[in-house]
Amino acid sequence: MTTIATAARPSSGTGATASSGKYLTFVLGREEYGLPVLKVREIIKVMDITHVPQVAAHVLGVINLRGRVIPVIDLRRKFGFDAQEHTERTCIIVAEVALAQSTVMMGVVVDAVSEVVNVAASEIESTPDFGGQNGTDYILGMAKVKGGVKILLDLDRVLGSDGQLAIRPV
Amino acid sequence: MSARKKTPKAAPVRIDDELVTFAADPELAEMFVADGLDHLGTIEQTILKLESSPADLSLVNDLFRPFHTIKGNAGVLGIHSVERFAHTLETLLDLARSGLHPLGAAEIDLVLTAVDVLRLMVKELPARAAGKAVTDVSSRCEALMASVDALIAAGASSRPELVPERADDHADNAVVSFSEQSTVKVGTSKLDALVDMVGELVIAQAILAENPALHRAGDERLSRQLAQVRRITSDIQRDAMSMRMVPIRQTFQKMVRLVRDLSKTFNKPTAVVVTGDDTELDRKLVEQLTDPLMHMVRNTIDHGVEPQEVRAAAGKPATAQIHLKAFHRAGGVVVEIGDDGAGLDTERIAARAVAQGLIADSSALTAAEIHQMIFRPGFSTAEKVTELSGRGVGMDVVRRNIETLRGRIEIQTERGRGTTFSLHLPLTLAIVDGLVLRVGQDRFVIPTPAVQESLRPRPEDVHTTYGRPCMVQVRDRLIPLLHLGDAFGIRGTHDRISDGTVVIAEDNGRPVALVVDELLGKREVVIRSLGEMFRGVAGIAGGAILGDGRIGLILDTGGLLALASRAPSPVAAEREIA
Repeated sequence: MTTIATAARPSSGTGATASSGKYLTFVLGREEYGLPVLKVREIIKVMDITHVPQVAAHVLGVINLRGRVIPVIDLRRKFGFDAQEHTERTCIIVAEVALAQSTVMMGVVVDAVSEVVNVAASEIESTPDFGGQNGTDYILGMAKVKGGVKILLDLDRVLGSDGQLAIRPV
Repeated sequence: MSARKKTPKAAPVRIDDELVTFAADPELAEMFVADGLDHLGTIEQTILKLESSPADLSLVNDLFRPFHTIKGNAGVLGIHSVERFAHTLETLLDLARSGLHPLGAAEIDLVLTAVDVLRLMVKELPARAAGKAVTDVSSRCEALMASVDALIAAGASSRPELVPERADDHADNAVVSFSEQSTVKVGTSKLDALVDMVGELVIAQAILAENPALHRAGDERLSRQLAQVRRITSDIQRDAMSMRMVPIRQTFQKMVRLVRDLSKTFNKPTAVVVTGDDTELDRKLVEQLTDPLMHMVRNTIDHGVEPQEVRAAAGKPATAQIHLKAFHRAGGVVVEIGDDGAGLDTERIAARAVAQGLIADSSALTAAEIHQMIFRPGFSTAEKVTELSGRGVGMDVVRRNIETLRGRIEIQTERGRGTTFSLHLPLTLAIVDGLVLRVGQDRFVIPTPAVQESLRPRPEDVHTTYGRPCMVQVRDRLIPLLHLGDAFGIRGTHDRISDGTVVIAEDNGRPVALVVDELLGKREVVIRSLGEMFRGVAGIAGGAILGDGRIGLILDTGGLLALASRAPSPVAAEREIA
């Protein structure tokens, strides 16, 4: 069972690439990102988040989503952007994230949700090689849609790569 | 793909061919597997009983029937490998129940081994039907069937004169007695979903009841109606929980089997006395109890029970006794596993703990504290590593497992008389009685059983190390102090410890004093796991959905103790005592 689960995931490095389809786009700072729509469960307003101690800084805590407890991640902090006060446009995107053994629901705080766009295969450029460790592992590809560039994210890697969110005691 | 013979006469067929019907009807298939495993459990239980009272022919009958059913069902589905195997064993048992072939030790061993193989075959049927590779048991089947045939050939000729004591030939077509309660089989996932939904209902109800608009309205009829809803909700909850309760029998039965096998391996004859196996507890709890209990049974036989010659020298009966006991106590369940063996050797454990560097000196420790050493990771008294124990894993895993179930372990031991481990467990994993605490703006829940008392410390009772508060004196005890706000990095807490409240919690007999801002009251909360992403967060056991719909984190006393024993963090330095 385990082997099947891991084999189904992109192996490593440059394994995953973007495919054409619908993407949910959202704003983070001055950049636009896209997530495969199939991964997105729902979009909710920012609600009371219960802080969980001793976890990585980008983990905001947990929320009660109709009886389910799900972790919430601040994508700004995860990507090293400056922190910003939540505005009325701030949203939590609830998405499905594949971990090594299972799939979990997670909330991702973003500045604002834009729209769902159709991305054709011809509009996708493969991930540029920035050289070195630039975190391009997270990127499925770049899409040139409607005159703008959207960064298509591999959410499983952005969030799943954390595996466990707890900071191990030193 | 391995080949398997369809019938003795037919040519070998590919294993998938006999699973056509099985794969075509998933519902039927699922039922066959569930039923089959059920029957195999019954068989195992019966044969172990039979071992102690071999003359009881009604037991042989009880043994024959489930084999017959498995064979019949397998036949209907066309699973010939299972059918043929069950048939061979049935033949032996048929002879036995008519008194023509008494079941001796060899037969019992054979049937038990066959049960293991059959269980494996049945368990792996779904995987086989899905085309996955499974354990190839065909050669083991053939060997077992050959041994059965050999036994029948030898037995029938040597002991033909035995007359059945009480052969009940007509009982095999089981007439269901009318007093039996009618039952419906429901998948466990459905049951779990129901319990989850009921949990949500309870939460939703609580959120509604705490809505300030209701209190402002001051409508008496409305509050009466609400009270009615609350009553019904808690009734539903109780019933839903009770549906998930199962007797601990099956788990105990596994232990009985394990003792039987191990006592042979170790050459330490051991009898098992089981009491209270009809005690019911949450199915999930029962499932998670099996592994720790198996560890403990292994340890008991390996370390607890003495070798035969030692027992003889001590004037003890040659057959050692292990007792397994389950009973209800104080809203929870206690599971005991005890032996009449050597008892824990306090000095040896102490010496070992020092030698392994777990403690520096044992002179200040009480015997009970020394006994707790066996639960430390890496601790092992076994000089040589045996097949079963002595690898230094085991008891610490057991303790961790039990603590995950929010239970605790107690040891009673007397040198030369034996040891009893008592596992104190909650009835269910879904709900916990907890004390809600406020720290800054955050709320936490601590399970009530872990709380000893709460108090407002006097400044003179708080003691410092390096200028930092680290101990509090409660009567004659000095208890390590943990400021939850500092430990968890929460802002907006009380500046002075004497302004806050101290909750004394206990883990495994070790106390810790938690400094919090306020006690908000006691209530039952529905536990939600924080999920695997948060596994390993020290001091947090899970989440609970509180009355206003927000999540309060459930504290884990063991983890907090570990935090408290770490060096005080720099943030703690500035805190004033008074």
